[in-house]
Amino acid sequence: MRKWLFFAPLAIFLAVSVFLYTGLFSDPWSRDSALLNRPMPEFDLPDLMQPQQRWNRELLTGEPFLLSVWGVWCPTCKAQLRFMTELREQGIPIIGLYYPLPVDPAFGDHFSLGQLQRDVQRELAYFGDPYQFNILDENRRLSFDLGVSGSPETFLVDADGTIRMHHVGDMNPRVWRNLFATAFEELQQAALVYQEVKP
Amino acid sequence: MIPELGQLALTFAFVLSLMLGVIPLYGSYTGNERALMLGKPLAIASALFAGLAFAALSYAFYTDDFTVINVASNSSTVLPWYYKLTATWGSHEGSMVLWVWILTLWTAAVALFSKQLPLLMQGRILGVMGWIGVGFIAFSLFMSNAFERSLPYFPAEGNDLNPLLQDFGMIIHPPLLYMGYVGFAVSFAFAIAALLSGKFDSTWARWARPWTLAAWMFLTLGIMLGSWWAYKELGWGGWWFWDPVENASFMPWLVGTALIHTLAVTEKRGTFKSWTVLLALATFSLSLLGAFLVRSGVLVSVHSFATDPSRGLFLLVFLLIVIGGSLLLYALRMRSVRSQARFELFSREVMLWGNNVFMLTATLVVFLGTLLPLFHQELGLGSISIGEPFFDAMFFYLTIPFSLLLGLGPWVRWKQQKWQPLIPPMAMIAVATLIVAVGLMAATQSVQANVALIGLLLGAWVGMSALGEVGQRIRQFGQGLAGIRKLSASHYGMTTAHIGFAVMVIGIAMTTTYSVERDVRMQVGDTVSLSGYDFTLLDLYKLDGPNFGGEAADLKVERDGRFITNLHAEKRFYTIQRTVMTEAAIHARLSRDLYVSLGEALPGDAWSFKVQVKPFVRWIWLGGLLMAIGATWSLFDQRYRRKVTRRLKVPARNEAEVAHA
Repeated sequence: MRKWLFFAPLAIFLAVSVFLYTGLFSDPWSRDSALLNRPMPEFDLPDLMQPQQRWNRELLTGEPFLLSVWGVWCPTCKAQLRFMTELREQGIPIIGLYYPLPVDPAFGDHFSLGQLQRDVQRELAYFGDPYQFNILDENRRLSFDLGVSGSPETFLVDADGTIRMHHVGDMNPRVWRNLFATAFEELQQAALVYQEVKP
Repeated sequence: MIPELGQLALTFAFVLSLMLGVIPLYGSYTGNERALMLGKPLAIASALFAGLAFAALSYAFYTDDFTVINVASNSSTVLPWYYKLTATWGSHEGSMVLWVWILTLWTAAVALFSKQLPLLMQGRILGVMGWIGVGFIAFSLFMSNAFERSLPYFPAEGNDLNPLLQDFGMIIHPPLLYMGYVGFAVSFAFAIAALLSGKFDSTWARWARPWTLAAWMFLTLGIMLGSWWAYKELGWGGWWFWDPVENASFMPWLVGTALIHTLAVTEKRGTFKSWTVLLALATFSLSLLGAFLVRSGVLVSVHSFATDPSRGLFLLVFLLIVIGGSLLLYALRMRSVRSQARFELFSREVMLWGNNVFMLTATLVVFLGTLLPLFHQELGLGSISIGEPFFDAMFFYLTIPFSLLLGLGPWVRWKQQKWQPLIPPMAMIAVATLIVAVGLMAATQSVQANVALIGLLLGAWVGMSALGEVGQRIRQFGQGLAGIRKLSASHYGMTTAHIGFAVMVIGIAMTTTYSVERDVRMQVGDTVSLSGYDFTLLDLYKLDGPNFGGEAADLKVERDGRFITNLHAEKRFYTIQRTVMTEAAIHARLSRDLYVSLGEALPGDAWSFKVQVKPFVRWIWLGGLLMAIGATWSLFDQRYRRKVTRRLKVPARNEAEVAHA
């Protein structure tokens, strides 16, 4: 009996390595958003391109959509534009939540909406424009409420405005197929049924 | 051209390591003396070529060779020359080359400084080191090539070095840390060689001891420098963060500390044999685990390198072979080993066993705290996070019994100790402890707070007891200077390290309890008071550095109208990486640090400032430094050198008994 005790370190190590192995293939940044299955936070924010147009939660509800947090300063966001444009062509509604970089007046930076609009337009014209429209998260308040920790992040919001999925990292065919596709179709079905039942 | 030569040199080092892994081991089984003799030249040649590879990479950094991808993404022309050189190990790829070089250096050191080892043993040790080298050089060559070029389209300007790494602390922190991590490979190789030979007498422990001490000393310095660097470079005055990567370096340190202590038991008393071997395997295994955690991306940390699952997979397979293989060998060999020595319940052996219990409990706490979030997520239980409160509380409760034991331990004799003779000295130490603790309390005018009082008492207890013990030994050896000279270097080393621990405990307790901070808005001419110090903002102006711009503030500190110091704090904006760095202004004294950092610009020519007074924070690093000095002192023990001449006459086994009878 006592002799087998000498195998204990080996057994413990092997058990730990199983976790290390699976840990390799899962994304350490992925964490369950605290907002999952909760309604989207309230907000009142301007449109990026037409600031006089203002958006709020009620205006967005009615059909499931993807909310994509991004910015021109984020290279990965750039990389996902092409695939997301394909999604848009398949009829998936995608709304952008534009995350502007903090401006530090101490370094002579100042915020210019015109400049930002030109940058966004140039980038979308070049890489593809997946967005129905973009909401400008002026003070990054909505991103904060959504628990955004980096860009890009994508949320799946259902017809009632409830957050159903939260993905940190880029949107690519694999992520779409494995995580979003089925869930999105189900939500779409549910929304149709809901609309039929509704008088 | 030079980078290609570097890669070629690394390839040579790989082949040489492979030969080192095969030939001496082959010799050790066939008794082929010429094969065994080849170990030394192979180890030295391997270190030379790895050094050439590192030099080639440094040269590419120094000359801004942006055709090398690694240089382009971690350096720039505007970087000062010394940071260009240190950028060599600022990235995953570059740091692997450094790691490999250090590993081959340790191997060569074993080959050069182990003349007293039997050839057979030396061959086995070098063989094991050779295989470890093969693994890491292969990782560097095939999985993370630092010499890769981006021809023909290469950038005209580099991406610059992460500003956090542009600091003196960063110049020496990673090399020291790697010296420690990789140094434990030597203890590991000694343990494997002992396992292969099947002989676990005290000799292997005596040979492994100085190497383990040296590695431990480097790791201590490395961790301490990392803490100091974080304190001054991250800009908010914290000195330990329980970050996964810090924990990854802390675990081998804890187990390494346990190992140093059981090596003493195995060497002097011939017991704890299988336990010591296991600790030697565990220390290096935890170093490897640390490397895996940092470089594979399974954990989220501020330190992690950019990640890639194939790299992680390579390292994991390497871990499985090295750790799994060694533990299997351990299980198979150790089933037949018995420790014979007897000892009573109250004896040095049991005291050191107690040290091990605490060290390993601490390791378990760190291990679980670091990896539990990963386990939890992989079991599908959702994400959790374990932070400072958990570690702080656990370490607080562990430190109390540990320190009490540490005060008593050195007084206790091997084999058996009677209670009665220890009562008078312990009572005197207890009185001295109270006096010192109360004296420190009074001197720092700190009154309330139990944590600080407990810390002071524990620290004073350990310190007084260590001093008292060394004094008593000296008196035993003879009057005055004669006694001082007679006491062995390793005894002085031990005492110094224990006092270092005491100093660190006091520093931690005082800093955590009595640090005060204020976030204030200041304009030129404003004064803010904290802990009796008056900080006046004298001037605010623009900065213009080689690769950064920003804002600087000059302050004046006074106490009761008496001038103390001028402070200079900066907020730098690194233009290429577009990152903001806070250069805190620190005025350090043994009893306290004044710490001022610039926050954000506020409307109306004002800035927000964080002003802190941190009592005794230097004691934390002073304690670490004393521990490292203690380990170095022990290395100079005559025992480790006198053997060279003596063992020519006496056969190995008897000698061990003669030496410590």
